[in-house]
This record gives sequence, structure tokens and C-alpha cells, in this order.
Amino acid sequence: MGYDQEKESGGVATTGVTMKEVAEPGSIFGVHIEVGREAARDLPEIREIVFRLEGVSISYDGVEAVRSITMDVPANQITAIIGPSGCGKSTLIRTFNRMNDLIPGAAVSGRVFYHGQDLYGPAVDPVQVRRRIGMVFQKPNPFPKSIFDNVAFGLKVNGITDDIPARVEEALKQAALWDEVRKDLKKNAYSLSGGQQQRLCIARAVAVNPDVILMDEPCSALDPIATAKIEDLMRELRSQYSIVIVTHNMQQAARTSDMTAFLTTETSDDGDSRTGALVEFDRTELIFTRPGDARTEAYITGRFG
Amino acid sequence: MTTQPRRHFHEELEGLELDVLGMGEVAERMLANAMESLADSDLIAAQKVIDSDDDLDNRYMMVERRTLELLALQTPVAVDLRLISAILHTNVHLERVGDMAVNIAKIVRVVHGLPVNQTILSHLAEMGHIAREMLRASMDALARRDIALATKLPEMDDPVDRLNRGMYREVASCAWDPQMLEWAIRMMVVSRQLERIGDHAVDIAEQVAFLITGEFREFTDASHPEVEGAG
Repeated sequence: MGYDQEKESGGVATTGVTMKEVAEPGSIFGVHIEVGREAARDLPEIREIVFRLEGVSISYDGVEAVRSITMDVPANQITAIIGPSGCGKSTLIRTFNRMNDLIPGAAVSGRVFYHGQDLYGPAVDPVQVRRRIGMVFQKPNPFPKSIFDNVAFGLKVNGITDDIPARVEEALKQAALWDEVRKDLKKNAYSLSGGQQQRLCIARAVAVNPDVILMDEPCSALDPIATAKIEDLMRELRSQYSIVIVTHNMQQAARTSDMTAFLTTETSDDGDSRTGALVEFDRTELIFTRPGDARTEAYITGRFG
Repeated sequence: MTTQPRRHFHEELEGLELDVLGMGEVAERMLANAMESLADSDLIAAQKVIDSDDDLDNRYMMVERRTLELLALQTPVAVDLRLISAILHTNVHLERVGDMAVNIAKIVRVVHGLPVNQTILSHLAEMGHIAREMLRASMDALARRDIALATKLPEMDDPVDRLNRGMYREVASCAWDPQMLEWAIRMMVVSRQLERIGDHAVDIAEQVAFLITGEFREFTDASHPEVEGAG
């Protein structure tokens, strides 16, 4: 199958929610998809849904970290997840590409649909999931290799061997890094600044032509200029990819995202355990001008105890 | 114990709101004094109104500057952002109300010694009284976050508009005496100032409603008077 054809084209409307056609008709990870089972809820507008979470709870060694999250993540939008420390932001974002599978004792209940397919279904290959759903982490994590090899690596791992230089160039351009490194492609990636390293990681993620890019605090180690570049880049990438970002910088969520989910921690009656819960999920401009829930307002205005 | 991470910012914001409420009192007093100077043809009282405008202008400039500082330094959101927006608008409205009180006081100086018409004076006194009530109601609605009071403002404005519309006829009835006509034509301007003050009070009330509900809507639309939004 041609590499370029893997990207989605067109859409099929079903009960108000559009599901993407993918590489092989009717399948995403080589598994048959049942389209249209999920009826649309009261969505503000009909928009293609990438992820649908239904009553998702995540626990570590039996301790619930996140409880009963239900939300739809729209396609080609930037969805921000905000909330206080320990509310389960990072735990939640790791369910989108099954990164929690890698943590011993982690268990996910409820259902996560990716383009209508059960992401945690028995026949789904987590490695394939992570190819389509890329991730950028808090700390830039380039390989100790050349800039070129960092981007080419993912392509080779995925069995793509043709046009590697052109694909690397394209990915670096998409990550707004090409002009800065075009003459230094053989240099070690560690010679780059922190902000450049993070954009290199974004280039590495987009090189394999994913569908979704997850970002877990991608700017927390960067200075304001490097942060602004990444934020600009996110807006650029949005037309091609769906982006989910976890950030504890509320202003970053306000500046960059289209949709914002606010999570908070709920303390158990005996005060012994704290669990993350979704309070509100709405258009970002509404969350930051007139949030619907008093807890959201208290958090974003800093009036919380 | 609750700790507020943004306590300093919220104290600043509260201080700013108190300053705007204080401006409301100054503007209301200026209006009251201007109307008294008109009724008594008191030039000294009129001059006091004119002089007091510097105080209101200084307050206006300070609120403007501090509001911009909070916007630049504190990136307010949600109810804080709406309060800052309401403060900025209210600040401008109150400064304009002060200017209008000054305009009335200046007219008192110009018409000194001219013959007066008691019907016009009593209509103006009534308009001034209602405009003052409206100003106080809109500022009380802000201070108390009282949406019910805020939405009453358009209704309160109706008699002011009606008296202002009737002023033309009263002025025309003075045409038989050229000196009284000159006085009466000046009083048309006073009437217009009072009518505008009523509109400013309605606009402040709109800001209060926006602050409370998060939704901005005009209570009345001059270009579509048949569609009145007041609930």
C-alpha cells in the first residue's frame, strides 16, 4: 500500500457524527470497524469525532486515578486538558494511544473509541495505535543521533524506505525547523537548543504521517520564545492533524486550543484518596469568558482553596 | 483553610471596583448640584460643578491606567475579565455623565438674568431627579450584582425620554418672548443632556447584566425600537 494513501480522505456521515474512511475500507488497525453505532449527543455542531470516551476510568494497582470520563474529541482541532496537579491530565492523555498499557498495574475501564473503533478491543495492536497517534513529551527526547537520523528513524521502523530525504525535509518543514537545520542535518540532535529539540521531536512524530498528535506539557521546559514557536506550529499543524495537549499553563490552553477540558481532583469521603474527574468540556473561548461550572471558574480565576 | 493563589490580584480588582463606585457617587453629586444651580440660578454653585470635574477626570484616568495594568500583568479570565470589561465601560460612562453635568452648569452661567418658564423648569427638575435615580440604581446594581435591578433601567428611562420629546413643544410656546425663547432654547440642550445621562445609566446596567450573566445584549436598540431586549 502506498504511504501517501494512508492519510484519510473524505468522510461518511452517520447519525450526525462523521467517521473517517481509512487506509483499508472498514478498518483502522486491520480490524473491522462498526460505524454509526454511537448516536450523536447534543454536540454544538456536527463535527468529525476522533476519540469518544464513554465512562472511562483508569486505575493504578486498584487505586482510581481518573473516574468516569465521557467526552468527544473533535478532529482537526486542538483540544487542551487543564486542571490542578494530580487531577489525572497525563493519565487521561495516555489512554488515547494506550501508553498506560506500558505501566504495570494500570487498568482502563469504560470504552475508548477511535474513529468509532474500540481502541482497547482485543484485536487492536498497540504498536499500530502509537504509529497513528503520535506523542510529544514534556522533555524533548531526541535520540543521540544526527538530526536527519532522528526523523528518518521512525520512517525506517515503519518500513518506509523510499524518498527518505524528501520525507525528512517535509517533516522538518512541517515542524518549522527546516530553515534552521537544513545545513546541519548531520549534526548531533543534542547540539540543538531545547526549543529546536522539541520541534525535532514534533518532526519525528509527523514524519510517519500520524492522524493525531498528543502533547504532554510540550513547552514546560522551554523559554517563552521557544514556547511561542511551538504554539504557532500547533496552529499550523491543526489543519492536518488532530491535537490533544495537556498543559498546566492555563494561558497556553487559552492561546492555542479550540476546546478545553477541565479536570479536577475529588477527595473521597474518608479523605484518603483523590481521583480526577472531568468537570467541564467546552469551546475554549467559553471556558475562559463564561465557564458553565463554578469549579471551573474558581480554578481558572485562582479562587480555589 | 483556603488559600487564594491570586489574592493580590483580586484585592487590586476589588479596589478598582470600589474606585468606580466612588466615581458613581461623584458623578451623581455633580448632576444633583448642576440641577440645583439651574433651579436657583446660582452661579457660585454652577462654578463648583465645573471645578469638580477635574476630580472626576483624575479618577477616570487612574481607573483607565490601572485597568490596563491589570489586563497586561494579570491576564484575567472569566468573571474577572468580565468585571474588568464592565469597569472600563462604566468608567467611560461616568466620565461622560460628569461632562454633561458641567455642560448644564455652563448653561446656567449663560442664561443668567434671562426670564424663565416654570413649566420647563419643573419638567427639567423631574428629568434630573429620574436621571439621578437611574444613575444610582445602575451603580447599586453593580455593587450588589443585582440583575433584577439592572434590567429595570430601560423602564426607568421611559419618562425621561417622554419629557425630552415634549420639550420642543414647551420651548415653542415661549416664542412670544424673544428673551424667554433664548432661555428656552438653552433648556432644550439641558433636556438633551439629561436624556443622555439616562442612556448612560442604561448602558452601565447592560454592563452589570453582562458581568453577571456572561452574555452581552443591548437592553434597547435605538435603530430597532420595536425589539426591546429588556426582560
